[in-house]
Amino acid sequence: MTDGTGIFYDGVTSERRDVTIMLLARTLRAVDAQQRIVAEWPYEELESMSAPDSVLRLGRRDSPDTARLEVRDADLMAAIDIKAEGIDRTGGLARRQRAVVTAWIVAATVSLLLVAWFGVPVIAERLVPLVPAGLERRLGDAVEMQTRATLDTGGAGEDFECGRGPRGPAGRAAFDKLVARLDAAAGLRNPVRAFVVRRPEANAIALPGGTIFVFAGLINQARTPDELAGVIAHEMGHVAHHDGTRSVLQGAGLSFLFGMLLGDFVGGGAVVIAARTVLQSSYTREVETAADTYSVDLMNSIGADGSALAAILTRIGGATEPGMKILMDHPDTRQRADRIRAHAQTARGTPLLDAGDWAALKRICER
Amino acid sequence: MTSMDAPAASPATAPFPIRFTGDRRAYWRLLTRGAMLLMVTLGIYRFWLATDVRRFLWSSTEVAGDSLEYSGTAVELLIGFLFALAILVPIYLVFFLAALDIGPIGNMSGALGIALLFILGQYAIYCARRYRLSRTLYHGLRFHQQGNAVFYAVGASLWWALTALTLGLALPWMQAWRERYKMRHTYYGNVQGRFAGAGWRLFLRGLPLWLTVFLPFATGLVVLGGAYDPDTLQIVLRHIDDDDVMIRLAEINPDLFDAIGLAIVTTAISALLAALLYPVFQAIQLRWWLTGLRLGQMRMQSHLRTARVYGIYLRFVAYMALFIATLSLAAVPLLMIYGWLLGGNDVSILREAAAASLGLGIYVVAMLGFSTIYQATVMLSLWRRGVESLTLDGLGTLQQAAAAGRPSSAIGEGLADALQVGGL
Repeated sequence: MTDGTGIFYDGVTSERRDVTIMLLARTLRAVDAQQRIVAEWPYEELESMSAPDSVLRLGRRDSPDTARLEVRDADLMAAIDIKAEGIDRTGGLARRQRAVVTAWIVAATVSLLLVAWFGVPVIAERLVPLVPAGLERRLGDAVEMQTRATLDTGGAGEDFECGRGPRGPAGRAAFDKLVARLDAAAGLRNPVRAFVVRRPEANAIALPGGTIFVFAGLINQARTPDELAGVIAHEMGHVAHHDGTRSVLQGAGLSFLFGMLLGDFVGGGAVVIAARTVLQSSYTREVETAADTYSVDLMNSIGADGSALAAILTRIGGATEPGMKILMDHPDTRQRADRIRAHAQTARGTPLLDAGDWAALKRICER
Repeated sequence: MTSMDAPAASPATAPFPIRFTGDRRAYWRLLTRGAMLLMVTLGIYRFWLATDVRRFLWSSTEVAGDSLEYSGTAVELLIGFLFALAILVPIYLVFFLAALDIGPIGNMSGALGIALLFILGQYAIYCARRYRLSRTLYHGLRFHQQGNAVFYAVGASLWWALTALTLGLALPWMQAWRERYKMRHTYYGNVQGRFAGAGWRLFLRGLPLWLTVFLPFATGLVVLGGAYDPDTLQIVLRHIDDDDVMIRLAEINPDLFDAIGLAIVTTAISALLAALLYPVFQAIQLRWWLTGLRLGQMRMQSHLRTARVYGIYLRFVAYMALFIATLSLAAVPLLMIYGWLLGGNDVSILREAAAASLGLGIYVVAMLGFSTIYQATVMLSLWRRGVESLTLDGLGTLQQAAAAGRPSSAIGEGLADALQVGGL
């Protein structure tokens, strides 16, 4: 039996009592100055509570009260350490417990990353068919406002759209004719609304619910109506496959995973945005191939030249600007072009636009 | 001014009424290890790190020879956070769907959502304090907090709105209101706290600072208002993207040109003054707050010196400069790799993803470094200097308390974490 002194708090009052501590065979006993037993705690219930290094602060495991016994005598601490399984003054026990916890957290992190990598696309894929056409259109409207504000860097407002100038109506009519022909053949549940906008890049983007923005740069680069039609048909492929909606759902899922669940521990949304860039770009490859196939099928079905898409892709392949790669988000342009050509039939029947319409369309953005 | 009725039972163990015993290097070790694990676990480790930090700070704070005890656990925080998610996810979902509704409801849902989340954030702050207090023990007795969190949240949000509308002039009264409400509902066992600081005292001390900071800015605004000319402004706005817009402005209306220049300079001066005077403000506010705290008969007086607070921030700036220099050196080769990855004409998805990951990595290291240095210098030192600046009176109160209050749940902490309004 080892004796020593300590301080006892009964958890009922804040009174500080000096006690004598006796280490019995199975229990630790604290006796106050009047020789009353104030605590008799079994060793297996002892728990070391948070305290400065120089103090051993004992409590009882799973006890509803907050009684504490404090020991400051190094020899007595060592003696208690030997007797009680759950007390380890060297910190080895705490380190082992923490290592186990850390391993679990790392495992949880890996599993969340796997969810982000594999799970989110699968969930989005399953949810997309469940989104009703009306909701998809509204989603598209909300995204359209955002997209317009983002693209319209010059603050042109209404004038951001081509076809409102004096030469506009003719160009606009030709453009609408081209789109209407594709739209009629495609038969999408939301009719396509396509606009030409004043952006210098050779690009086009499709939003959820059927809105398509064709950039002025693409009109300049296109040499035939079929080339332009091929790109618009590609974007209609995105609309038909609900790629925009899926990407919004994926984005929401990833934002949730990385923004809330994991906590924005470094502040700002930068981590979320970067993580989305990494993960979403990994989703895109198959989506683009599918849209290419859709474009070629649609062009084939109206008797147009499906391989024109390959021609314009190859021409603008290296010319897109970084950060603006929605149409050209895609590596291996040559592979894409080969696949399109292999699949395309040669043009037959009437051309999509006559020479006059095409000339008007080329000038749609002139003011 | 040590207490006359300090614990008579053990005078030898109470040489200081209150002091801080923490070892700075141990704290650095704790934080750097935590930062590494935060990085590896994408932040999930934060519950464990927060618990470790609190255990360190609480157990290093010694009143009348005995240290505080933080009895919360990381698992409690994690569970609280998961509960908070269950509350927040439906709310976010409703706002997401409402935002899709074009028209007045859709437009309003944004503003309404921000207002609601702000109030919810204040609610969370109050609940989180309730959790932390109920996990704080001294002499084997819990602290606890009562009061109505919804009342506090609405009141604090209104005070915040008033503070914003008065450009900060209402801040002292807001602080006084918040501290009064919180402290009135704070208990050590059955001993009730209160807050004796008055808003106008803080106002009088802070007013010279406020005037110094706002005077240049206001001067610039007044001059700008005097030179206001709608016609010229129209022309400028129409050509805002042209390179020579300022030159043309100088030709059309030199007065307005000078006024704009003056406004820019005075705004910069105001911003610089705000940064330079911030430690003074912090010292004033900390002294005012600490001196106003009461617990039963216990009173305290803070003698925190402003120079000390400047020292704290200088140390922070020095460490940050060192860190940024090191990071920049390390980042040069990484940025070269980044450029190489994105350099080609036909950049593959894999390269793009690698480049984004690299950028993300640099960003995460930078932000984690910043937060670690901030915690290890500013947070720790403010705590330490704040504690060391105190003289206590009426410590006998602490010896005559009886147990009261129960441990409260960590959902408030979880909400605060999810809404990113958490404190310690």
